[in-house]
Amino acid sequence: MPGLDIRDLVVGFPGLERPALDIPELVIPSGAHVALTGPSGSGKTTFINIVTGLERAPTGRVAWGGTDIAGLGEGARDRWRAADVGLVMQEFHLFPGLSALENVLLPQRLATFRLPPSLRAEANRLLARVGIGRPGQKVETLSRGQMQRVAVARALVARPGIIVADEPTASLDADAGAAVAELLAALAREVGATLLVATHDDRLIAGMERLLRLESGRLMPVASAAPSMPVPAAADPAA
Amino acid sequence: MFRLIAADLVRYRWGALAVALLIALATALGVVVTLEERALRLGSARAAAAFDLVVGAPGSETQLVLSTVFLQPAPLTLLPGRVLAELSADPRVAYAAPVGFGDFSDGRPVVGTTQQLLDGLGGVSEGHRFTRLGEAVIGAAVPRALGDTFHPMHGPAEAHGGVHTAITYRIVGRLAPTGTVWDRAILVPIEAVWRIHALDDHADEHSGPDQVTRADSAGEPGSGAAGAPTGAQPRTIADAYRLSQEREATGFDAPIRPEAVADPAAPGVPAIVVKPRTIADAYKLRQAYRTDHTLAVFPGEVLTRLYGTLGDARQILAFVALNAQALVAAAVLLVVLIHVMARRRQIGALRAFGAPRAVVFATVWLEAVLVVGVGLVAGFGLGYGVARVLARLISVQTGVVLPVGFSAEDGSAFLVLFAASGLAALLPAALAYRQSPAAALRA
Ligand SMILES: Nc1ncnc2c1ncn2[C@@H]1O[C@H](COP(=O)(O)OP(=O)(O)OP(=O)(O)O)[C@@H](O)[C@H]1O
Ligand SMILES: [Mg+2]
Repeated sequence: MPGLDIRDLVVGFPGLERPALDIPELVIPSGAHVALTGPSGSGKTTFINIVTGLERAPTGRVAWGGTDIAGLGEGARDRWRAADVGLVMQEFHLFPGLSALENVLLPQRLATFRLPPSLRAEANRLLARVGIGRPGQKVETLSRGQMQRVAVARALVARPGIIVADEPTASLDADAGAAVAELLAALAREVGATLLVATHDDRLIAGMERLLRLESGRLMPVASAAPSMPVPAAADPAA
Repeated sequence: MFRLIAADLVRYRWGALAVALLIALATALGVVVTLEERALRLGSARAAAAFDLVVGAPGSETQLVLSTVFLQPAPLTLLPGRVLAELSADPRVAYAAPVGFGDFSDGRPVVGTTQQLLDGLGGVSEGHRFTRLGEAVIGAAVPRALGDTFHPMHGPAEAHGGVHTAITYRIVGRLAPTGTVWDRAILVPIEAVWRIHALDDHADEHSGPDQVTRADSAGEPGSGAAGAPTGAQPRTIADAYRLSQEREATGFDAPIRPEAVADPAAPGVPAIVVKPRTIADAYKLRQAYRTDHTLAVFPGEVLTRLYGTLGDARQILAFVALNAQALVAAAVLLVVLIHVMARRRQIGALRAFGAPRAVVFATVWLEAVLVVGVGLVAGFGLGYGVARVLARLISVQTGVVLPVGFSAEDGSAFLVLFAASGLAALLPAALAYRQSPAAALRA
């Protein structure tokens, strides 16, 4: 369960006069549940891309539990992400034509020569856990809420130490969004993973232990609604 | 990976099918041109196999070969009878067989010749060779039974040359299949042909130019027609026939006389098939019979020359086919590239969620190669089928049997095409490989 340690991170894009992201220092302790908010265009997705290694940090240090992914090449970042990060995006990115179970297993199946049998059992368990009754159902026939829950199961199946979500509830209605928000928090806690969620969703924010606010690429001090240290499970809103 | 490819192909089955079909059609086009051209070459080489050297009267070499080897009807000038006699006596000659065409039965050529050519063509597989004037041997593809009888017509049916009612041939044998036009021919003794035509000539003195008739050998200077050595015998078959004209058809019961062809005063023939004893003899004979009065050709050589000119047409066809294939290849590549571009989100997502880059590359490559490969295989199959049907149609119409078949050459052509498509598929695969997952997810 690595924590995050960022130093002197500056990300600019050609044509932007100010950097899209400028973070001199940020520490997220291992196992923390952190929400990332901010107005549209403030750099949330850019931040997520950098800390998951989808994009390379041009300067500074982005270290997860001692691994500075800013120093890794593209292939190495891919391998690190496959092993350590579970991703949930606003869009589900499920592969049509395959079943829910096959979708949960697809990245692993492509990454490993032979799928360990334990992984299949874990996928079935997770699908049951997120409330998908028929793992063999073709994914394009699921409801949107179900699709995102399948995506949550996919993010967790390899038991990553880090779970990152970018607007996971933004394209769902309130109830489906609430269900996904609860699942993310509960499952991250079950496996003890560090959870980082970029969101506008107040319900999702309320379930988190810590709030980060981005404005024009800079972290703003927040009137801390939640304690800055991990809290016991009593804070679980599902309770 | 394979599950992923299968799911993807099922999802885009119509597109994949269309692409494969396009490739199949383009491939088939090239395959048909190649196979048909080769079949034509092999088929005619086979047709010419029994005809080492052909001697005829001066004129077109091509026409002489087409008429003899492919039995194409054409008015050929006749050779005087003494040429056949001379060739039969030549020590360099294994056999010299006359080919007397001009008669037909039900549209099938009735060819006058000798037993030697029956053997030269491969011998009879059923029944026996003709031994009497009124006997006939049919080609393997003639739909008649042994024992059937027929009257020959002078000229093809549509020409209304008239029926030779004087003779009724009885079929006594069938040739082994040769895979040539001769399979559709009916072979009869040359003496019988001479006789009928002499008879008809006599019946209505001069009805017009005749294909097979008495050569005016008597008019040839120095042919010594008057001094024929055969004392008591009638001087020619025709004379003999005229003498015994009253006996009419009964005369055709007579056994054939092989020595009749050795008679310098025998009636003329349009062509003589010569089997030389050795290759050296073949060249010497051709030299010796290239004179002002005779023409000697190697059919194989004439056909090769003919294909030289046909080759230009073939090259144009091959050029057209090649261009069609290149266009299809370019179009297919474009379609695949557009398809990959359109799906770059999905491809990027695969990597974002942990699929290795190399696997994404391999998946796209394999899927492209699979579709193209299916198209190629189907194209070869389709091309083969079409070539077979075409060859069948041509064979029914002309009797020339075209042996359609693949050769090792085609195997390597297939491999080259396959390798080329493998290389081309690297392009979309590389496109997928270079796709940034972050950009893909943002799109
Ligand atoms: N590849 C790029 N090239 C140029 N500018 C970019 C690029 N990616 C992001 N930006 C810019 O960086 C800024 C931050 O974008 P980002 O997507 O991180 O915002 P966000 O906080 O996720 O917004 P939203 O809430 O709407 O998703 C924006 O101004 C955006 O236009
Ligand atoms: Mg965003």
